[in-house]
Amino acid sequence: MAVIYYRFRSQKPDHIATIKFDGTGLTVFELKRDIILANNLLHSTDVDIVLYSTEDIQDTKSWGDQSGGSSSGERELDDDNEVVPRSTTVLVRRTMTPKKNKGNVQRYVAGKPRLQVSGA
Amino acid sequence: MSADNEQLQFHCLGGGNEVGRSCHILEYKDKVVMLDAGVHPAYSGLESLPFYDDFDLSRVDILLISHFHLDHAASLPYVMQHTNFKGRVFMTYPTKAIYKWLLNDFVRVTNLSENVGDGSGGENANSFLYTDEDLRESFDKIETIDYHSTVEVDGVKFTAYHAGHVLGAAMFFIEMGGLKILFTGDYSREEDRHLSSAEVPHKRPDLLITESTFGTATHIPRLEREHKLTKMIHSTIQQGGRCLLPVFALGRAQEILLILDEYWQEHKDLQKYPIYYASGLAKKCMSVYERYIYMMNDHIKAKMAETNTNPFFFKFIKNLTSMDRMNDSGPCVLIASPGMLQSGLSRRVLEKWSPDPRNSVILTGYSVDGTMAKNIVREPSEIPSLTNSETMIPRRISVEEISFAAHVDFEQNAEFIDLVNPKTIVLVHGDSNPMGRLKSALLSKYQKLRSTDKEIKIYNPKNSTVLSLEFKAQKVAKVVGQ
Ligand SMILES: [Zn+2]
Ligand SMILES: [Zn+2]
Repeated sequence: MAVIYYRFRSQKPDHIATIKFDGTGLTVFELKRDIILANNLLHSTDVDIVLYSTEDIQDTKSWGDQSGGSSSGERELDDDNEVVPRSTTVLVRRTMTPKKNKGNVQRYVAGKPRLQVSGA
Repeated sequence: MSADNEQLQFHCLGGGNEVGRSCHILEYKDKVVMLDAGVHPAYSGLESLPFYDDFDLSRVDILLISHFHLDHAASLPYVMQHTNFKGRVFMTYPTKAIYKWLLNDFVRVTNLSENVGDGSGGENANSFLYTDEDLRESFDKIETIDYHSTVEVDGVKFTAYHAGHVLGAAMFFIEMGGLKILFTGDYSREEDRHLSSAEVPHKRPDLLITESTFGTATHIPRLEREHKLTKMIHSTIQQGGRCLLPVFALGRAQEILLILDEYWQEHKDLQKYPIYYASGLAKKCMSVYERYIYMMNDHIKAKMAETNTNPFFFKFIKNLTSMDRMNDSGPCVLIASPGMLQSGLSRRVLEKWSPDPRNSVILTGYSVDGTMAKNIVREPSEIPSLTNSETMIPRRISVEEISFAAHVDFEQNAEFIDLVNPKTIVLVHGDSNPMGRLKSALLSKYQKLRSTDKEIKIYNPKNSTVLSLEFKAQKVAKVVGQ
């Protein structure tokens, strides 16, 4: 069985939890869904769950990407279809959505991955 | 010094356009002060927390807790034990004394509905946010402060003032980097049976952070409110009904008990009917209430002096520690938590008493969206059973809302703001609509000052947002040699 490690960004560095799965990796979509379910974050309609990788996953994405306003070395995993390899550690940020009552939780639990439009 | 550094950053991690999970962070000239660390009563677990992932808590120097209510204090052990927070934590003596019992209970109640006397855990039952051990370890690190004495930590000064909301509730006047800030917490400007009205600090703050729970609403006068309450209870009992008062285990419950005990004293016909107060915590905290009588108002001090006994030991109120000891065969009054009927004893009794039209439920606190208390005010014809969500229970019990929540109404808030006379106002602790109405009302009140140097700026930030506030007066150059 494979694992991906995660912790909420405000938690102590040694506060590592795991998502277990079979295979070599999970898509960002699957990983977010599993984290939402594992922590019972299902009820708020106005919350966004955002993931950050602390290491480079796909070389092409890491160039000069400073998204999320996070400290250096964190990169937002904003592509639902990106694959997070097993044994990676990700940071989770639970934040209020700027879009009224349109947090992303429901989409990850019930919906479909958003297609990343190339070149957009 | 960078331009950013000249601005005060207000980070709203909770309590922005909502009532619940109060938590704000003030950042100015490299100093960081955090206000409150609550949970949201409509949620449990991580979902009930303020948005802590939005701020690096290791940067916080000081955390001030305004009062013991769960929406202001209950995520403190989480902050102290599970995050990078390294700051110092302060609260008043009575807040700390009661906090200890409340949170013990909050942690312990894993089985929501079965603990009779300890329903406050049901206010927001969550055992996995932190453990007993977390609570114990963090408790000893909490420092206590007296009202009116100023504490200084690395150049940041703060003073606690009476907030008049519950025993130990404080407003904090903070001075950091030359800026003055007043945080009201939950506050009341009305003297009641045991607490005095919130104080007005002598110094003028640059920034006022005030609650807006009741927005532009107007309270009915206190005596009228008390009369309405006792009348409703009296008539319920006369028609052979039972009366449920859902309350938060401690705090405002004591005010209700003072009213009822006195009423029973005056009405012999009622004395054969029991008033039950289902709280295991109450007993534990009675000594705290006695010890800090001197922090309450003259009315209660006089009562204490007259009788030479703790005025919170009541003659007609039976402390209920086990559901089995309650005689549910005839008319009675039951005061039970949680206050918003989310789960626990008050909810269980509501479901039991709901089908009988002779019964009544009286909501005396503020009800947060998404809770049964908020729901039942709309008088639905049936309510869902908590133990069996497939089952609906007929609702024939009569429902009344009479607020003893001890928050300011519009007139009181506006008058206080005038007295305090701040340059900038940040509204917190209110649902969007009442908060929005309050903002508009204040803006139109101060309309004449617009575009003058006396203009009062008013903000109502959402959670997970940051306000950058500039205070021009700070840039006045100091005269050399002074
Ligand atoms: Zn309160
Ligand atoms: Zn509150």
